[in-house]
Amino acid sequence: MSDMMLLFPIFVPVFLGAVMFLVPGKAKWVKEALLLIGTAVTLVVSILFFGKNMDFVLPWGGFGMDLSLKLYQFSSFILLSVAVFAFLIALYSVVSMKGHEQAKKFYAYMLLTLGFVSGAVLANNLIILLFFWEGLLVLLFAMIMTGGKKASPTAVKALVLNGVADLCLLLGVGITVFISGTAAMDKINLPMDFWGSFAFALMMIGAIGKAGSMPFHSWIPDAAIDAPLPFMALLPAALEKLLGIYLLTRISLDLFIFQPGSGMSIAMMTIGAVTILLAVMMALIQKNFKRLLSYHAISQVGYMILGIGTALPIGIVGGLFHMINNAMYKSALFLTGGSVEKQAGTTDLEKLGGLGRKMPITFTCFFITAAAISGVPPLNGFFSKELIFEGAAESGLVFYIVALLGAFFTAASFLKLGHAAFLGKRRTEHDNVREAPWPMLVPMIIIAAGCILFGVYNALPLNNLIQPVLGAKLGGESFAGILPASWLLAGISVGVLVLALANHFFGVKRTKSGLGAVDHIHYAPGLKTVYKWAELRYFDPYNIGMVIVGGISKVLWWVDRGIDWVYDKFTVRLVNILSLGIRKAHTGSHRLYIAWALGGMALLAVLVAVLI
Amino acid sequence: MLDSSMNVWMVILLSLLLLSAVFAVMIRDLLKAAIALAAVSVVLTVIMFLLGSPLAAVFELSVCAGLITAIFISAISLTKPGTQEELAAKRRLRLKRFIYLPILLVLIGVGLWLAWPSLKLDIAAVGTGAGLSVQQVLWDARSLDILGQIIIILAGVFGVVVLFRGRKAR
Amino acid sequence: MPALFLLIPLLGVIIINLPGRKIGNRMAVWAALAVAIIQIGMAVTSGSMVWQGLAQVVSLPFGASLQIDLFTAVVLATTGLIAAMSLILDKNAENPRSLYFGSLVLVTMMGMNGVVMVRDIFSLYVFLEITAVASFVLISINKERDPLEGAFKYFVMSAVATVLILAAIAILLLTVGSVGFKAVADNLSAGGVSPQVIVALILFIAGLSIKAGLIPFHAWLPDAYSSAPPAVSMLLAGIITKVTGVYTIMRLITDVFSISSIMKTAFMVLGAVSIVIGALAAMRQDDFKRMLAYSSISQVGYIILSAGLGTPLGFAAALLHFFNHATFKSLLFVNAAAVESRSGTRQMSRLGGLASKMPITGGTSVVGFLSTAGVPPLSGFWSKLLIVIALWQAGAYFYAVVAVLASILTLAYFLIMQRRVFFGKLREGLESIREAGAAAVVPSLILAGITVLVGLLFPLVLLLMQSQGLI
Repeated sequence: MSDMMLLFPIFVPVFLGAVMFLVPGKAKWVKEALLLIGTAVTLVVSILFFGKNMDFVLPWGGFGMDLSLKLYQFSSFILLSVAVFAFLIALYSVVSMKGHEQAKKFYAYMLLTLGFVSGAVLANNLIILLFFWEGLLVLLFAMIMTGGKKASPTAVKALVLNGVADLCLLLGVGITVFISGTAAMDKINLPMDFWGSFAFALMMIGAIGKAGSMPFHSWIPDAAIDAPLPFMALLPAALEKLLGIYLLTRISLDLFIFQPGSGMSIAMMTIGAVTILLAVMMALIQKNFKRLLSYHAISQVGYMILGIGTALPIGIVGGLFHMINNAMYKSALFLTGGSVEKQAGTTDLEKLGGLGRKMPITFTCFFITAAAISGVPPLNGFFSKELIFEGAAESGLVFYIVALLGAFFTAASFLKLGHAAFLGKRRTEHDNVREAPWPMLVPMIIIAAGCILFGVYNALPLNNLIQPVLGAKLGGESFAGILPASWLLAGISVGVLVLALANHFFGVKRTKSGLGAVDHIHYAPGLKTVYKWAELRYFDPYNIGMVIVGGISKVLWWVDRGIDWVYDKFTVRLVNILSLGIRKAHTGSHRLYIAWALGGMALLAVLVAVLI
Repeated sequence: MLDSSMNVWMVILLSLLLLSAVFAVMIRDLLKAAIALAAVSVVLTVIMFLLGSPLAAVFELSVCAGLITAIFISAISLTKPGTQEELAAKRRLRLKRFIYLPILLVLIGVGLWLAWPSLKLDIAAVGTGAGLSVQQVLWDARSLDILGQIIIILAGVFGVVVLFRGRKAR
Repeated sequence: MPALFLLIPLLGVIIINLPGRKIGNRMAVWAALAVAIIQIGMAVTSGSMVWQGLAQVVSLPFGASLQIDLFTAVVLATTGLIAAMSLILDKNAENPRSLYFGSLVLVTMMGMNGVVMVRDIFSLYVFLEITAVASFVLISINKERDPLEGAFKYFVMSAVATVLILAAIAILLLTVGSVGFKAVADNLSAGGVSPQVIVALILFIAGLSIKAGLIPFHAWLPDAYSSAPPAVSMLLAGIITKVTGVYTIMRLITDVFSISSIMKTAFMVLGAVSIVIGALAAMRQDDFKRMLAYSSISQVGYIILSAGLGTPLGFAAALLHFFNHATFKSLLFVNAAAVESRSGTRQMSRLGGLASKMPITGGTSVVGFLSTAGVPPLSGFWSKLLIVIALWQAGAYFYAVVAVLASILTLAYFLIMQRRVFFGKLREGLESIREAGAAAVVPSLILAGITVLVGLLFPLVLLLMQSQGLI
């Protein structure tokens, strides 16, 4: 296999995506076929790539900006995951996007995104990485825009928030390249001195911003409502998490010397913990299927950041394991949400209920994946969370408690969601709802089965995919096993789940509905006001930022008016006055003109005399 | 080269030259102005003689003082005199127009007088075209200028033809 | 060969005015045009071997007094070009005096060619006078009131310039004892700068500044340019003042008064003042041609500023701007003539919306003014860019900023012009206006073509300049 092959996962999807734009809109199945071929080829290539080591270098821009791609254990694993999710979601969207007026554009952007993500994963040069990274920003914007006119404010919001994060990444890359003197990623290994920490922090912000951590999260719940559903399953749920966490791991493991207990470690864990708790609290009170899921998409990132932030092998393994697990169950959950939307016509929980009978397969998939995200043993989410819990407990009790709280609220919110959507009384208008078509079900089933597999047989992903990433740092240790290492922590986790269940029954009994299961938390004294403000988006960093920017722009507006005045009024008047004056000075008298000339000569003489 | 008695003569002659020139510009009668101009040429001729350039002096006398004055006078004889009112108006205007001239002259004189020592114009130091006969100067060294003069005359002829011939037709 | 540049026009004048044979007005202009075109050809090929070979076979007079170098050749070619355009344009005016017009254009050409080729300050003066005398007559050739007034002002100011230049030559002759460029230059460099020389220098600069129309020596120029017949104002603005004033200054800077820091400052101040005041004055003019005249002053300021810098790049930029300005300013004067001949007025307040009726004139004038303002990719952009670069390299940051800011003023007044004359609503009474005749359209298309081509093919121009060792 030639190293040139490394270009395949980048250029095949990009090329097909470009071709997609040329396909006439009315041609049936051509665009769907292109999408499936593109994702399938990428999938096949990345399966072939798996476990291989390859390098490809093409001297390109000069100044060290080589098109340098590197395939090794970690990147081949991420590439494979990306390709799998892309293929499954492509399969799903072929049905779910059918008849959507922007389907063609959406497919094209999807392929382009796939190519760019592959590029970012394979990049072995920070400049090339940035190139693909920024390309993804544009594609993100474009994909949200396919949601129609109402999506454009959300698209702008996503662009601004991600843009800020990307700007940080750009700065971080700049500093890193400057300090280390090279842009080749496999040659950089910087200590955490002042500038090192600064660069690390900036690049970390870029990475977690892409993953959708706080405070770069607030576009995701909006996009959940406005953008096409496959977009949510593809980007915020799967690909962006994979990419963001991939980069975070790369910088933590390879690019910088990242020590447990260092300031950066604590900062990262704090961001993770805050993200977990705040996002899950918001998820708890959501009354919309997709919006609720989207807050979990944010909250789960917190776990991964927390895990990697510990800088302990167990935490990093847990974080990476959680990353792949989360990508699985979260995309599957979004897909179930999409099925419900497609079949019942709404994702508003107040209008749903009792769909479990009508859509048994969807419900089963939902049940499994919801259990996985809640951390029910023996599913995959349970094991990855246990690893993170152990890492957190070792690093600081506060982080462990916050993570545990997050687990409680996660379980509670999914109990509420499942109850409200699939159980309880069915509404009369949903009597004719049927199960979703097979192409939509297959991806869900595959992913749900994967959740079980990765849980029960967690040695498969841990030993083959994740632990080799850490390599020597692990010291030969393995975290795989039928049962978690720490009985105490596992017991506590199960206890928390039981508590969540009890809480659910309490809430249901109190309000007589599944939707109201957490009302007693929602409307608890104190929290009620905070929630109200949060719902009014007082805490949305984007909105706060916009208010600040608005204030600045108002000031700048006045400054600009002043400059305008100088340009438009003052200068024009001055020029007019001068010009008229000069015009009036030309009286037409040649005697005056001679006098000018002689005067000019005299001035010239004076000038020369002075200069001598 | 210039001794002191010569200097006295030069100062007198130059003053005379200046006086005639101012007179030529200021006088209101065209005829007298033409004669004053001729006087300027005559004085200039004398100066050139004294400075040892007889050929230039002869040219100056014959062409400027003689020929040009003759042309001027014949041209002026073709005009008709203005009325008393016109003359009076012109006189007032002229006085107004030239009121600054004496002041200007005085100022320039003072300026030159002050600047003279620092300028150190050492006229005696260089000779011009010494050793060459007039013939050589005109036809060998400066033949291009002769061509130039011919062309200037050509241009002048065109000017006269263009500007003055049409008037007769009108 | 140099003598041919004088003898061929002289022959032309003689043929046109041969007594006895009645040669028509029309033929006279054609003959003069032929001479101008021959001049372009000769100037362009002046560096080739053919002429060198010829010089060995036939010996022409004045070989020693006249010389041609690259600078000279460029100016000779430009002279031929603008003279040819002017002669074509004259047919537009249906001038009954074409016979004299043709002859006088040839005389001015002789004068300018002489100015360009001589290497002797006295001969320089003689040829300056030829050009001046012919120009007076040309301006007033129609014997109307305004042109006569303009010619008179030019005459008076020119007389002042003559006095100043003659006085300067006299002083130089006294101190140096010779009038050849080389001799004077050698003497100056050997003896150091004496007060006499400085006085002579100031007189010379002042005299030539009058010829070039630099501020504050410029006042004759707007009257003369705006009142002269179309073909003549184009000739005046495009080439006559440039050769008699700008070229002479540049030549004396390089060949005679090897530039000292004092001279540098003097020229740069003159240039910068002309740039700014010329542009400001152009802003509020109502007369189309008068506005162009002030614009001309401003552009000449650029040339002097750049040449006065004294660096090789500055000189090259000045030379390029010299050529460019000759083409695009002539273009604008042609268009002004076209507008005047069709609408009967030069007052911009009485014009408007002509672009719809006169598309070629309107379009080419856009090319002309954009090039003047230095908008890429037209020729004026490159020369102004070179000027600014030259200024910046030499550390003359203030002047560089002035040059750039004045470009904005240039753009402003030309936009005003374009809006008032060509764009906007067609004014009442102009409905029946037509595109100008071939006599105006042909020159404007040729000149616009040159402007665009020099701009687009600038890399080639740059290569040429490099191969000639200019930069």
